[in-house]
Amino acid sequence: MKITLRTDVLTNNNKAAEFNRELFQNTKTLVINLMSSPGAGKTTLLEETVRELSGKYRIAVIEGDLATERDADRIRAMGAKAVQINTHGGCHLDARMVAATLTEFDLDEIDLLFIENVGNLVCPSGYDLGQHHKVAVLSVPEGNDKIPKYPQMFMRTELVLLNKIDLLPYLDFSVEEARKDLTEINPESILFSLSARTQEGMHEWFSWIEGAYLQCVQQ
Amino acid sequence: MHEMSLMGDILQLIQEDATDKGIQQIDKVELIVGEISNAMPDALRMAFDIFRDQNLHLFTETAELVLHIEEAKAKCVLCELEYRPDQKIALCPSCLVPSGKVLSGETFQILSYEGRN
Repeated sequence: MKITLRTDVLTNNNKAAEFNRELFQNTKTLVINLMSSPGAGKTTLLEETVRELSGKYRIAVIEGDLATERDADRIRAMGAKAVQINTHGGCHLDARMVAATLTEFDLDEIDLLFIENVGNLVCPSGYDLGQHHKVAVLSVPEGNDKIPKYPQMFMRTELVLLNKIDLLPYLDFSVEEARKDLTEINPESILFSLSARTQEGMHEWFSWIEGAYLQCVQQ
Repeated sequence: MHEMSLMGDILQLIQEDATDKGIQQIDKVELIVGEISNAMPDALRMAFDIFRDQNLHLFTETAELVLHIEEAKAKCVLCELEYRPDQKIALCPSCLVPSGKVLSGETFQILSYEGRN
C-alpha cells in the first residue's frame, strides 16, 4: 500500500521555529541569526556590538559551537548574558536546540538576542530558527569567491557584513565585485563594509540594528 | 554534512505515520529533493543504506529509496524568461540584470512510502 505524505523533511524544525517566533514576537525580542565561515569574526563583531549597544538595550547571546564555552565566555566578559550550545559535531543549530535554550532566558527582560550559529557556510542557511533576520558575515581574507561558491547561504540572508576591511590594502579582495556577486544572487540583500577590530563602518550595522528593533517592537 | 541526521528525521516521521496506520513493514521511500535544497542525493542514499542495514524496525532489508530530483528554475520578472540558474541565481541570462525569482528547486519533502500490514 502506498501512502502519500508530501511532508516537508524539516517539518519538526519548522514547528519549533514557529514556536520560537511567536515567543520572540510576544516578548518583543529582536532576534538575529548570525552565520558565517569559521573565523570570519562573528564573536569579535558581537563583542563590539555588546560593548556599543549594552547601554541602550538589554542584550543576550546564544553561542553555537561544536565544542567549548570559549565564545560564550568572551561575550560574558563584555557584560551580556550568554548561553553556549555545544552541538557535539553537529554542523548547524536547529530550532529545537534554540527552543530548549530559551528556558535559560527571561525574554521579557531582553531586547536583543543574537544567535551565533556554528561556523559553516552550508548547513545553517537551511534551518529556520524563528529569528527576525538572517545576517551573514563574510571576511576579506576569505576571498571574493565565497559569495558565488555558497549561493544558498547568500540567497537566504538579507544583510551581509563584510568584516576585516582593515586588511583590504594587503589582500586581493574587491568590495565592488562582492557587491556585484551578491546582487546577482540576491538583489534585495545589502552589504555593509566594516571592521570590528578598528570600528570602521560599524555605525551602519548599529543603525541597522536600531531600525530593526523599532520595527520589531512596533509590530 | 548533515544528511545522516536528515535521514534519521525522515525515517522517524515515516515510522510514526506507519505506526499510526498499523503498517508493519516498509518497502520503499520516495523523496523530492530540490537541486538547491542543501541536501545531497548521494549522501542521502548512503545515509539510507546505513540506517536500513542497522535493521531498524519496520524497514525491510530490501527497502528501496527513490529520489525525485526537482530542477532549479527561476523566472525573470522583466522578460518572463524561465531559466536554469547557475550560481548567480537571480541573474537573468537574457536581460543580464538580477531580476530572476526562484520558481523551484528548494523543495525537500517526503513524497510517499510503501508498506504492508
